[in-house]
Amino acid sequence: MQDKERTLAAIQAYISRMPSLPITVSKILQIANDPKTSPSDLNQVISLDPVLMGRVMKLINSAYYSLNNQITSLVRAIIMLGINTVKNLALSTAVLGQLSAKNNFQALNIDGFWRHSLCVGVTAKLIAIKRRKDPKRLEEYFVAGLLHDIGKIPLNNKLSAEYVSALALTDKERAPLYVLEERTMEVNHCEVGKLIIKNWNLGPVMEDVIFFHHFIDSYPGENREILLTVAAANFFANTFQIGFSGDRYPEKLPLAVYEELGITLDDLEAMETQANGEIEKAKIFLSVVQ
Amino acid sequence: MSIRLTFWGVRGSIPVPGPTTVKYGGNTSCLELRFGQEDRLIVMDLGSGVRELAGVVMKKDLPKGPIKTKIFLTHTHSDHIMGFPFFTPIFIPGSELDIYGPVSYEEDTLDKIVGDQLRYRYFPVRLDELRATIRYFQLKEGSLDLGGGLKVTTKYLNHPILVLGYKFEFEGKVLCTAYDHEMFRNVFDVKPGDPGYDEAAVKEGEIAAREENEKVQEFYRGADLLVHDTQYTHKEYLAGKTGWGHSSFEWAINSAHKAGVKHLVLFHHEPLRSDQELEGLYKAYMSAIRGRTHLKVSVAQEGKTFEV
Repeated sequence: MQDKERTLAAIQAYISRMPSLPITVSKILQIANDPKTSPSDLNQVISLDPVLMGRVMKLINSAYYSLNNQITSLVRAIIMLGINTVKNLALSTAVLGQLSAKNNFQALNIDGFWRHSLCVGVTAKLIAIKRRKDPKRLEEYFVAGLLHDIGKIPLNNKLSAEYVSALALTDKERAPLYVLEERTMEVNHCEVGKLIIKNWNLGPVMEDVIFFHHFIDSYPGENREILLTVAAANFFANTFQIGFSGDRYPEKLPLAVYEELGITLDDLEAMETQANGEIEKAKIFLSVVQ
Repeated sequence: MSIRLTFWGVRGSIPVPGPTTVKYGGNTSCLELRFGQEDRLIVMDLGSGVRELAGVVMKKDLPKGPIKTKIFLTHTHSDHIMGFPFFTPIFIPGSELDIYGPVSYEEDTLDKIVGDQLRYRYFPVRLDELRATIRYFQLKEGSLDLGGGLKVTTKYLNHPILVLGYKFEFEGKVLCTAYDHEMFRNVFDVKPGDPGYDEAAVKEGEIAAREENEKVQEFYRGADLLVHDTQYTHKEYLAGKTGWGHSSFEWAINSAHKAGVKHLVLFHHEPLRSDQELEGLYKAYMSAIRGRTHLKVSVAQEGKTFEV
């Protein structure tokens, strides 16, 4: 137990200085350093980096609103905070990424992790569109999907050796990653993710989605719909192998989830082209023109 | 009268003393608020005008006993805090000053931002040498009961750093401030085909900007007195001043009218604006709105008092 507490304390310390993903750092620096940056470029680059997205959401929500009135729209956050404030925040987050880039992502492949996160965000939003959710809430689905595996970043970067063995064990035992995380590190990425969401003050919806996305059966709360949507999007990304975030052998999505969401596996399959298209577009956007 | 407001600094950005600003004044933001028969003092902003206010307080309040007051800062840009070292009560034993204000996104705390002006590199007296008791309170959006029937409510406005608008309610009267403030704009609104055009963001931004502007208007709805940022004319605003965090006369007058404000005071004057120009603009706006609104409009002027 003492080990777990030590691990969590080390992770807590890391969270406050968690860097952007190396894959987005150069583009963030380019955009944030450009005095003529367009707001939509800023919007786009932030929405492609889970850490930066989380930080902007933290800022807007801690500065402006109580927990009952969470803001999850990046467009609104940029309008309210102002372009310069968001650019400064992006710069400071990206610089952290530059400083620590060498040690990043020893176990998980960064490109794979990024593609997976983006795919789950895009797919969660597509499912929500298909379910005719309120257009005002669509971004929340995207953000929840983008951030669902955020807890893997500290585990991967702070406990790299253990994470390498956890990943190796998933292959050997053909078991879900979170099970092996618990065995090797006493914590799983859902618990760590919840710590991050709490630290960023992103509110109960994000907290529930991140904490329960592998434990939907035991979820007691009222954010069930968005949780199931992200779980389904995650299963889709893993099954169709769009990106890779360490879960080669995820638990199957219970049939009841499809029924509850009113979607089929065919529906998910039909989203593959669109999800891949969004990721490729993002990839082109992120390539830095010198 | 329930609330009395006297201006000691009305200028934006930087003090501009000189022959062209004699009438309205060249000091930066400082407002003296007095409440009820007790003449209870509240100070708004510590711009260069607070030096003049200090003289009043020393003469009028100190003989009655140690100065115990609350100071509310709209934000921490230098023109709103630069007068702090010259507010004489900070040097007097027994003074108790509670300073409230928002802190922007940096890690520094309010006491550090305001108090750091009292370092040898800026000023010959250090913060530690002050004889007054000074307490700092970081504010966000919310309400505070200040006792004696006085309530203050805050609202975030639009400026390059965090700025709070204030609403003071006392004996059924309401005084609001909305400076430094620029209308929320849909920054995503570029023409189709232009680089950075994103249809969904344009639509969402439109709604967000409108809703945020409505919230500000709601904040000062029906106020007896509203002190509003009017640094620019609409023409000036469009010619390179968008995003600077200040309002136009047109915006302030229209918005106050729509919100059913009773008396609007034009404030935070552009430093380059001469008395003559300011008067000319005031006359032009007054003739433009004559007969079209019940809104009373005045120009903030150093030493001038407004009562509600």
